[in-house]
Amino acid sequence: MEDPVRASLDHCVKCTICETACPVAQVTPLFPGPKYEGPQAERFRQPGASADHSVDYCSGCGICSQVCPHGVKIAEINSRARAAYKAEVGAPLRDRVLARPGVTGPMGSPVAPVVNRVMANGPARWVLERAVGLHHSAPVPPYAPRSFQRWARSHRRGAGVHPDGRSVVYFHGCSTNWFEPDLGRMVVAVLERNGVQVRVPDQGCCGLPLQSNGLFEPARRTLRHLAHDLAAGGGDEPVVASSSSCGLMLKREGREILGLADEDLRAMGERTYDICEFLLDLHDQGALDTDFRRLPLRVLYHAPCQQRGHAMGTPALDLLRLVPGMEVVESAGGCCGIAGTYGLKKEKYGIAMAVGEPLFEQVRTGNPDVVACDGETCRWQITAASDHSSVHPVALLFWAYGLEL
Amino acid sequence: MSDDGEIVVVGAGMAGLVAALRLAEAGRRARILAKGFGATHLSGATIDVLGYTPAPVMSPAGALPAFVAEHPDHPYARVGAGVVEEAVGWLKGHLTDPRYVGDLGRNFLLPTAAGVCKPAAVAPQTMAAGDLRGGGPYAIVGLPGLKDFYPSLVAGNLALATTPAGTAVGARAVEVDLSPGGRVDAGPLGYARRFEDPRFRADFAAALQGRLAADEVLGVPAVLGLAGAEQAWEELEARVERPIFEIPTLPPSVPGLRMFTVLMAAARRAGARVVIGAEVVGVETDGYRVRGVWSGTANGRRFYPTAALVLATGGWAAGGLVMDSHRVVREPVLGLPVTGADDGAARFLPGYLDHHPLATAGIAVDRWLRPVDARGAVLYDNVRVAGATLAGAEPWKEKSGDGISVATGYHAAMSVLTEEG
Amino acid sequence: MQTIETEVLVIGGGATGVGVARDAALRGFATVLVERKDLAEGTTGRYHGLLHSGGRYAVKDPQAARECAAENGVLRRIAADCIEDTGGLFVTTPWDDVEFGDRFLAGCAATGVGVEEIEVGAALVREPALNPDIRRAFLVADASMDAWKLAWACARSAVEHGARVLTYHRVTEVLRNGDAVAGVVTVDVRTGVTLTVRAQVTVNATGAWAGQLAALAGCRPVDVVPGKGIMIAMNHRIVNTVLNRCTMPSDGDIIVPIRTVSVVGTTDSPVTDPDQLEVTQAEVDHMLDEGEKLVPGFRKARALRVWAGARPLFGAKEPGDEKTRDITRAHTLLDHRQRDGLDGFVTITGGKATTFRLMAEETMDLVARMASPGTDRPCRTATLPLPDSEPGAYYAVGSRLAQRERHLLDDQLVCECELVSRRDLTEALDRRPTANIDDIRRALRLGMGPCQGGFCTYRATGILHHQERLDQATANRALLDFLQERWKGLAPILYGDQLRQARLDDWLYQGLLDVEHLPAAAGAP
Ligand SMILES: Cc1cc2nc3c(=O)[nH]c(=O)nc-3n(C[C@H](O)[C@H](O)[C@H](O)COP(=O)(O)OP(=O)(O)OC[C@H]3O[C@@H](n4cnc5c(N)ncnc54)[C@H](O)[C@@H]3O)c2cc1C
Ligand SMILES: Cc1cc2nc3c(=O)[nH]c(=O)nc-3n(C[C@H](O)[C@H](O)[C@H](O)COP(=O)(O)OP(=O)(O)OC[C@H]3O[C@@H](n4cnc5c(N)ncnc54)[C@H](O)[C@@H]3O)c2cc1C
Ligand code: SF4
Ligand code: SF4
Repeated sequence: MEDPVRASLDHCVKCTICETACPVAQVTPLFPGPKYEGPQAERFRQPGASADHSVDYCSGCGICSQVCPHGVKIAEINSRARAAYKAEVGAPLRDRVLARPGVTGPMGSPVAPVVNRVMANGPARWVLERAVGLHHSAPVPPYAPRSFQRWARSHRRGAGVHPDGRSVVYFHGCSTNWFEPDLGRMVVAVLERNGVQVRVPDQGCCGLPLQSNGLFEPARRTLRHLAHDLAAGGGDEPVVASSSSCGLMLKREGREILGLADEDLRAMGERTYDICEFLLDLHDQGALDTDFRRLPLRVLYHAPCQQRGHAMGTPALDLLRLVPGMEVVESAGGCCGIAGTYGLKKEKYGIAMAVGEPLFEQVRTGNPDVVACDGETCRWQITAASDHSSVHPVALLFWAYGLEL
Repeated sequence: MSDDGEIVVVGAGMAGLVAALRLAEAGRRARILAKGFGATHLSGATIDVLGYTPAPVMSPAGALPAFVAEHPDHPYARVGAGVVEEAVGWLKGHLTDPRYVGDLGRNFLLPTAAGVCKPAAVAPQTMAAGDLRGGGPYAIVGLPGLKDFYPSLVAGNLALATTPAGTAVGARAVEVDLSPGGRVDAGPLGYARRFEDPRFRADFAAALQGRLAADEVLGVPAVLGLAGAEQAWEELEARVERPIFEIPTLPPSVPGLRMFTVLMAAARRAGARVVIGAEVVGVETDGYRVRGVWSGTANGRRFYPTAALVLATGGWAAGGLVMDSHRVVREPVLGLPVTGADDGAARFLPGYLDHHPLATAGIAVDRWLRPVDARGAVLYDNVRVAGATLAGAEPWKEKSGDGISVATGYHAAMSVLTEEG
Repeated sequence: MQTIETEVLVIGGGATGVGVARDAALRGFATVLVERKDLAEGTTGRYHGLLHSGGRYAVKDPQAARECAAENGVLRRIAADCIEDTGGLFVTTPWDDVEFGDRFLAGCAATGVGVEEIEVGAALVREPALNPDIRRAFLVADASMDAWKLAWACARSAVEHGARVLTYHRVTEVLRNGDAVAGVVTVDVRTGVTLTVRAQVTVNATGAWAGQLAALAGCRPVDVVPGKGIMIAMNHRIVNTVLNRCTMPSDGDIIVPIRTVSVVGTTDSPVTDPDQLEVTQAEVDHMLDEGEKLVPGFRKARALRVWAGARPLFGAKEPGDEKTRDITRAHTLLDHRQRDGLDGFVTITGGKATTFRLMAEETMDLVARMASPGTDRPCRTATLPLPDSEPGAYYAVGSRLAQRERHLLDDQLVCECELVSRRDLTEALDRRPTANIDDIRRALRLGMGPCQGGFCTYRATGILHHQERLDQATANRALLDFLQERWKGLAPILYGDQLRQARLDDWLYQGLLDVEHLPAAAGAP
């Protein structure tokens, strides 16, 4: 069988629609754009040989694949080509470090105060940039002193949750675990508030950073491992993810980009939900507690690229509009530029900032009380660049329920 | 149509946008599900209503009654000439930045990037000064780095044209060598971004200083900025002290993107929900009504219940109509019968510019745009079909592309609304 | 009327003709080649693209197999830049006799065709799209060979050695001097100007047209029956190895990955006129069905373009066969002095593109004996590489992409599908002043990719006009002609993705540019 990702290049009619939407091609001539990198260059590629390098500038945001009306899997083709390129030239140490939050996390957290001091320290960042190519201004959050998993292990089921009721597995992702454990606690609280029992098995990384850095083989191992972790001790409950990019990995990218054909992985992908998607489905079934208190906030909601990749609409927007007093405006699309670890790299930091500028400008001029966004790296990027605080939409629901940590 | 539930519009091209905006404006919950963007991103962005029958049409309003009588299966015949006029008028009201001018009373004759003057009923204000009736003389300004526009080709053909009144036309090409910062391989979008910068506009005007005759009308590629185009255009006119008009380039189309952005924002403001990247892969029906649609998601599919469905999936170019290698023709969303593509009959003729039999194939509808079978019986009560999916037109030859989409998208929405009211 | 004189005149600018011209020039003969269209516009530019290993003929035609095997080795040395070393597989599909594989192996052994039977699993790893139900697989030295590059490289080499190559010169008359052919009268089809070429020896290398040409010379009929074969190029390389069915040669049993496409072919049906090659729906369907047997899902892949070529099939047995006919049945060399008592005239026809050099060598051995008897002017083409070809440095499909990557910031793409840049275009025009976009297409592959000229037709016309290589009327005409030329190869395969593409192109040219109303459109074809 011919690989369906490659075969999809046949659908390209050169309409240029993807070019109008690619955030990177708009800001740098170094990147010739999705049509060129995807369906066009692919006709010149052969297995095991890499003839091009400009594909490394593709951030993997996936917007091109969403807007292509003809079903060309452009971003996926690019991702494969980048992996071939990396296999040929070898990935730099920096990419290998950024690609393994599951490894660096455990190293970071116990020594969090020290690491955080290094990361917050100007001269030290310059050294890091020189040594491993991590841009000195790139938004890198502090490590939390206590990981989410440590909290979860000692967490007792919330009041009102019936042991025989609905139950889910929570896939929290690395960032919640190491950087934003509070988000994980809010997710659990919001679910429990709605009578949903939440299981939090010990779990590792989904492999997305490895994949987006072109390191496919370790990415496959990592994702398989995750699926195994999440399945441990459970049946076939829904898997709920609070990171839109990591959730997408489980839903689709493992299959489409990494080419994993494992049956149990596919099955798990099918029962994976983004947290807002899950909550909105509850609402559609009349099972969501909508007893929100008034929150008179002006919120700018930004659906990150990876969230749009789910093709599930904007459930966060619909949920936030249930909160009385909240005034929610949707951002005019666009990309914040960070695209996972892309914008952290010194040769791409400038591009990422230019990509995000229209969005930052929207934030600055709109001057909302808070920005809501489903992607963690996007939130950090937006906050760093626009000086406005940003939260996951679930955090707003948490407050609207009047819950406390 | 019974409850006031959500109405799903499939497709985000001109027809889908118009239908969703009209529905949302009327207070209905509308949701656009689209596989990707539509032809708005490629279109010349003039609202072509009727240009050739094949004789050149000077006034669409004047020509429509006879045209409709001669083409009873044409979408215009389905909705009626009055609706075409009403819909285009309504659309004009929504198009801001740039504003649109003209009406069905008279076609503009606007130079294309090949230098042919193409009839269009309504056009962005930034293009109107190109009308051939003015007779020029034209100075067509090129940017040598822009590979999708060749001023000498345009000017050369314009110089061979005569105005409808029979007078000769003067035209010449002028080049301004300004390239968008470091980009050698820049398309229209790259230039459009540069033109948003007032300094670039000033440089452009300065480069033309002293190179234009007093009476010349300036034709430029349609790249005068994505946002704020009207202001950019006005400012440039003031700077060069001559009328300026834009000429659509090869895709991506900057004026098309402007039109899309304005309509999409209006639809969202009016409350329409939009999911791009969501291909509709199936429907659930009970007999003669569609209950909802399935759309593809990252990990499977998702069901959207719907009170009514507007099918605006485009024609062959967009995948609204498809043909497989066995030459079996299909409408993929609802499996509607495709008329005018009879098996066995010749579908293509030897000459590229011939009228190929397949060209007018599409979905047959009644006057409410409900799909019908070969005997004219309605197939689904709560479905409306709009845009290039419809049978009976050869819009790229007639120059009726967006005219059909606007009229039928609007009529589809009205027909959903009135049937309920 | 202008007249030029030469020793050797070659009629026909296909592989055979340019091969003969190069051979002649390398032997030091004053040489002129005339071709009625562009080089390789006949069968050579319409062939399947396969540099045979000989495997295909190993059972059916041992002589042809032997020649192909030998020439495959020679061309790999002298024409590496025209060749992509894809390798070839012969596979036994469920529709083929498993036993044939044994005959195949024996045939290869007997004819010197290198072959190795490999595990089915190994074949599937090498070519994942291959039918998983194949039962045997054999690896051979098949390769793909670019006809245009080959023809132009031979012509360039000939010119470098003093030959003149006159394209768009059609032979309208063969000049006789009693019992000898003395040259030809040609007409420049672009200007209408006639030119007489006088020669000591005239070589008729017009392939499927050889009968027509011989008739002009007034000799006994040369019975060449053009055999039509159709081929369909699929949009991308579905496979990277040449795939053959391991069976007696038949229709649609080969898929050749060449440049950016995969070509399935071919058919064989006699026609009367090699210039009238209609492609029928039934033939297209037949190819797709056969393709499906080698590569399941073939029908879902995108067909790009279809075309047909005419094989020069030499018909009836010649009287006095052993004298007038060359020793091998694969190609035919006629010495008209012996055959018809007509001096100074030789016909070379039949054969394969793979054996073009050998055919040229044999032809020139004969011509050399006729033109300068007694002198020894040995053939040099078997060892002297073509310009731009270094032994072992095969062409690779990624080379254009690699090249493009080097010029992202200083050159723009005109034909995006085939990665042809503005500089490529300008340089090609400088090398070879021509106003014909179709010539450029063949030289650069401009407009040969998925969109079939959707964007580049307009761009190329605009650039040529801008550079004042075309006046207004010619520019308009060129644009419309090119669109028509493209349409010809599209109409029979318009379904699926290519139908969507064609409709988008209609929107671009008619909906957006309104080319039907170009000032020159009145007389459009
Ligand atoms: C190059 C070009 C230039 C043009 N120039 C002009 C011009 O200058 N003036 C003019 O009046 N007209 C012009 N047109 C015509 C016009 O823009 C449109 O083609 C026409 O209006 C048809 O619009 P539509 O909405 O019916 O279809 P489209 O614009 O084709 O939109 C179809 C939509 O349906 C979606 N879709 C398809 N299948 C599915 C599915 N299964 N599920 C979900 N979504 C689906 C597609 O993704 C797309 O969003 C031009 C067209 C082209 C291509
Ligand atoms: C369908 C098909 C597939 C094939 N596949 C393969 C393959 O995969 N591998 C392989 O090795 N071989 C293949 N062949 C065979 C090979 O293509 C031909 O044998 C070879 O190309 C013939 O070259 P030629 O130069 O003899 O003829 P041509 O290339 O036909 O050259 C003859 C030239 O003479 C010119 N001419 C005609 N009349 C006149 C005139 N009056 N004045 C001036 N010029 C004139 C024509 O324009 C033409 O250019 C295939 C053939 C066909 C038909
Ligand atoms: S949007 Fe899709 S079809 Fe259009 S150019 Fe991009 S890949 Fe090709
Ligand atoms: S994935 Fe994003 S950056 Fe990469 S080509 Fe697509 S749109 Fe551009």
